Amino acid sequence: MSSAVKVSAADEALDREFLEERKASETGRYIKRHSKQARWTHGITIVCCILLCFSGLFVFVPALGQAIGADTVFVIRMAHRVLGVLFVAVPLISAIMAPKGVVHIFKNLFAKWDSDDKKWMILFFPYLFMARFIHMPDQSEVKSGQRFADGMLWLFGGLMGITGIALLLDTTVLDFGATVYGVMLFLHDLGFLGIAVFGLAHIFLGGGIFQPYRGMHRAMFGDGLVSESDALYHWGHWARAELEDGKNVVEKRK
Amino acid sequence: MSEKAILFDSSKCTACKGCQIACKCWNGLPSPTGLNENVFSGTLQNPPDVNGDTRLIITFNEMEAEEGMSNKSIAWAFGRRSCQHCSDAPCAQVCPGGALVKDEATGFVSVDDSKCIGCQYCSSACPFDVPHYYGAQSKVNKCTGCIDRVENGMAPACVSTCQPGALQFGDRDEMIAIAHKRVEFLKAHGYEKATVYGENEMGGLHVIQVLKYGVEAHGQVEDPKVSPMVGLQQIMKPITAVGTGATVLGLGAMFALAAGYRHKNLAYNEKTGDTIDVDTGEVVKHGDAQDELTVVEHLTENLPKKKGGSHE
Repeated sequence: MSSAVKVSAADEALDREFLEERKASETGRYIKRHSKQARWTHGITIVCCILLCFSGLFVFVPALGQAIGADTVFVIRMAHRVLGVLFVAVPLISAIMAPKGVVHIFKNLFAKWDSDDKKWMILFFPYLFMARFIHMPDQSEVKSGQRFADGMLWLFGGLMGITGIALLLDTTVLDFGATVYGVMLFLHDLGFLGIAVFGLAHIFLGGGIFQPYRGMHRAMFGDGLVSESDALYHWGHWARAELEDGKNVVEKRK
Repeated sequence: MSEKAILFDSSKCTACKGCQIACKCWNGLPSPTGLNENVFSGTLQNPPDVNGDTRLIITFNEMEAEEGMSNKSIAWAFGRRSCQHCSDAPCAQVCPGGALVKDEATGFVSVDDSKCIGCQYCSSACPFDVPHYYGAQSKVNKCTGCIDRVENGMAPACVSTCQPGALQFGDRDEMIAIAHKRVEFLKAHGYEKATVYGENEMGGLHVIQVLKYGVEAHGQVEDPKVSPMVGLQQIMKPITAVGTGATVLGLGAMFALAAGYRHKNLAYNEKTGDTIDVDTGEVVKHGDAQDELTVVEHLTENLPKKKGGSHE
């Protein structure tokens, strides 16, 4: 949203009244975005993911492993396995506990792209470098770019999980053969590249490091609420629908 | 020191397994010695395959005797199964711990198990399925070519004990010449499939073999190749480094360019359907319709020269 829109005098008066009321109020409006279970699942999974990336580096980058010695790398490798099992098991258990939530996530992920979604995606890359100059089209509950990036994280996360479990089984109780092991290892490395690129971008945006996204971390690491202003800026269509509906809107001290 | 090689002449091998014992003795490798600990596995190979404590075995392949080949109904094709010490050793290429290292002087691939991290990448890369593991930490074990002996002017332990002279040790070129001469002799005596193995395989092996009954009969791998996965895995490291580095740089640039920027403080009045800039009181959007600006308009509307442009 960049510049003023002309409205009727009656609406103008109502808006002025509305703003005065809001100014006088000590509370602000917030929209519930993520449930406690979603936040815990996300939290545990990303802690595992980050630790998996770091522990995996000691095998992936030979110089790192050689610098700390074989015995320490062995301990790190075993920790990598335990973390890997958690990384796979926690989202699965969470999904079993809340199947409707899973349906909701994937429904959003594969939602049809409207004109605003397409435009947003085209504008996103320039926006990242010119955020102060480009206003973005409104978005639904999950932005088009978010759908793409989240999809990539799901894809590469799934790839890491599946190939990781295969590698774990292949070196412990089963023997899939050298070719399967080699392919799994390559796909695991490919998954790591994807997780590194999309994970870093996800942390940069979702963690609110990028200035226009400041405060975004509270949606997943705080109380799961998004302020009215942030919601309107990031997910305009969704925010308006939620504010009209009122079911997920809470008033709390600013 | 010139490149070295072990020569195995299957036509002279009696499968006495003395080489296996010598290997175990020199390298201090244990064997199961308890009562009935060695379970019969259905093969005269003992143990049935190389393992974490056994770097070398003599393989027994029972063949139908061809006419004129033997006066007995069966014939044995003995083989030597151990590390072949490839010139293009993929195990050394993939080893992240630096436990497997190719000795450039001799061509042997040596092992430092104290550096092994137990990842088992070498096993997946080896076209001969040679590296095996021992202990709770899965440390790698395989033939080192007795590099410790070689560096001190001695032949590998297996070679030093071979009574029928099936094993020889020396400069690689010399071993290849001996092998070719022996194959010529065998062919002249009716062993048409006799062949030299190891001269060119995997860039040239450092175990040269005279295979009296052909490659397959002695349990060797016909035309061994490095799995393409090994190359792809190696490529992934620089690609990941570049990809991650570029991402970090890009994100750094985005952070710097957006530093200090805060988006407008917005509120929504459900009664009028107006989205309002709380600080200025301006209505920035009425209703919830799809955006009507073009991409170019989005890109240029707020650039300094057009500041204040209308958006109705």
